[in-house]
Amino acid sequence: MNAALLAVFAILKGPLYAAAGTLAISVLFGLRSADALLASCGAALGWTVRQAIPSGASIAFSSFAAAVATGLYSELVARFRHRPATVYMVSSIVPLVPGGGMYYTMLASVEGNTSQSLEIGMTALMTAFAVATGLAVANTVDKLVLRPLFEGIGRCSPGATIGGSARRSSNADNVDDDKHNHA
Amino acid sequence: MSIIASQGGMEPECFATNTGLMLSFAGEDGKVHSVVRRIKHRQMNLEKVSRLATMARALATDAMSFDEASSEMDAIERMSERTLAAKVGAGALGAAFFTLLFGGRPLDTGAAVAIGAILELALAAFQRWRLPDFLASLAGGALATLASLAVHYCGLAINTDVTVIGVIMLMVPGVAITNAIRDIIAGDLLAGLARGTDAFLTAAAISSGAGGVMALWRFLLPGVAR
Repeated sequence: MNAALLAVFAILKGPLYAAAGTLAISVLFGLRSADALLASCGAALGWTVRQAIPSGASIAFSSFAAAVATGLYSELVARFRHRPATVYMVSSIVPLVPGGGMYYTMLASVEGNTSQSLEIGMTALMTAFAVATGLAVANTVDKLVLRPLFEGIGRCSPGATIGGSARRSSNADNVDDDKHNHA
Repeated sequence: MSIIASQGGMEPECFATNTGLMLSFAGEDGKVHSVVRRIKHRQMNLEKVSRLATMARALATDAMSFDEASSEMDAIERMSERTLAAKVGAGALGAAFFTLLFGGRPLDTGAAVAIGAILELALAAFQRWRLPDFLASLAGGALATLASLAVHYCGLAINTDVTVIGVIMLMVPGVAITNAIRDIIAGDLLAGLARGTDAFLTAAAISSGAGGVMALWRFLLPGVAR
């Protein structure tokens, strides 16, 4: 029984710690309670995905997958909460940022291990790029797939989408109207 | 832009980066008005971002009048920052959980609580002194490393690597990375590059601070292992 509990904890502790750390970070970023909690759920999701990727894959790849998951989650939550997605994204990707890689790069270079330092540094840089690319992919998927889907269902009125194409087009309409009035 | 269009301005154009803002639009008389602002002090407050976005959306869809919007704007500007106690508490907990996340044991976590709190205090002080961001990150990285090494030196057998990493996660430029890539994807290449540079500089500053202290520590106390 105890062993089973320990095994469950071993799986859950990563997401749990990531969520708790992110909660603290979002307080530092000025988020209010509900949004902070939602952001830390995103972090937990990201870390779960990262853990779930087999260890054969590189850190960069698992970070990429985690960032895609976190990004999609942020876009979805943002839609329901009528907030910009950045609000959730910014806090919940913090655990994925290669702070450790940054540190070990410096440590190796201080120790005089230039080649090791370069190797770790490249991995850290790739991880950072992977996280960024993952978010970009999530953003694009949201724009191309999810947003039309939601507008089709009519769950959100066009005026309520966040920074969406709907708003931009209605804005363009306004400008055209004005021009016609003046003419 | 949508605000201007909804308020009767024509041909709104905007160019925003994280160091400056340029905005121009034609009024109803056809004259072009423009605003240019240099941005010197940046700070992170997601709640402000969120309220501003809500306000802009409401104004653009005519759900809010101009007067309501400008009083909301004042309210957002006057919004209180987190108290120092909240920041220090969050710093302590954040450092603790990130230390645990990266494999810290209870002793490392305890040290991270203290160092995280001290780091947040220091960062608040740097902000008050208007220290440039680069120097603040440099000093923050140095402080985190120095404190961990000092705790280890005092006889507590902590794993300094894990503790330092947990603590510096509080300063890591996640925001800049996120926004840089979003800007670039949206086609705002210049704004994206500016943000990317910000991210890179912050990362370089933090690790230079940490590395400088490590090098100095080895030089001054050559016999003492980490």
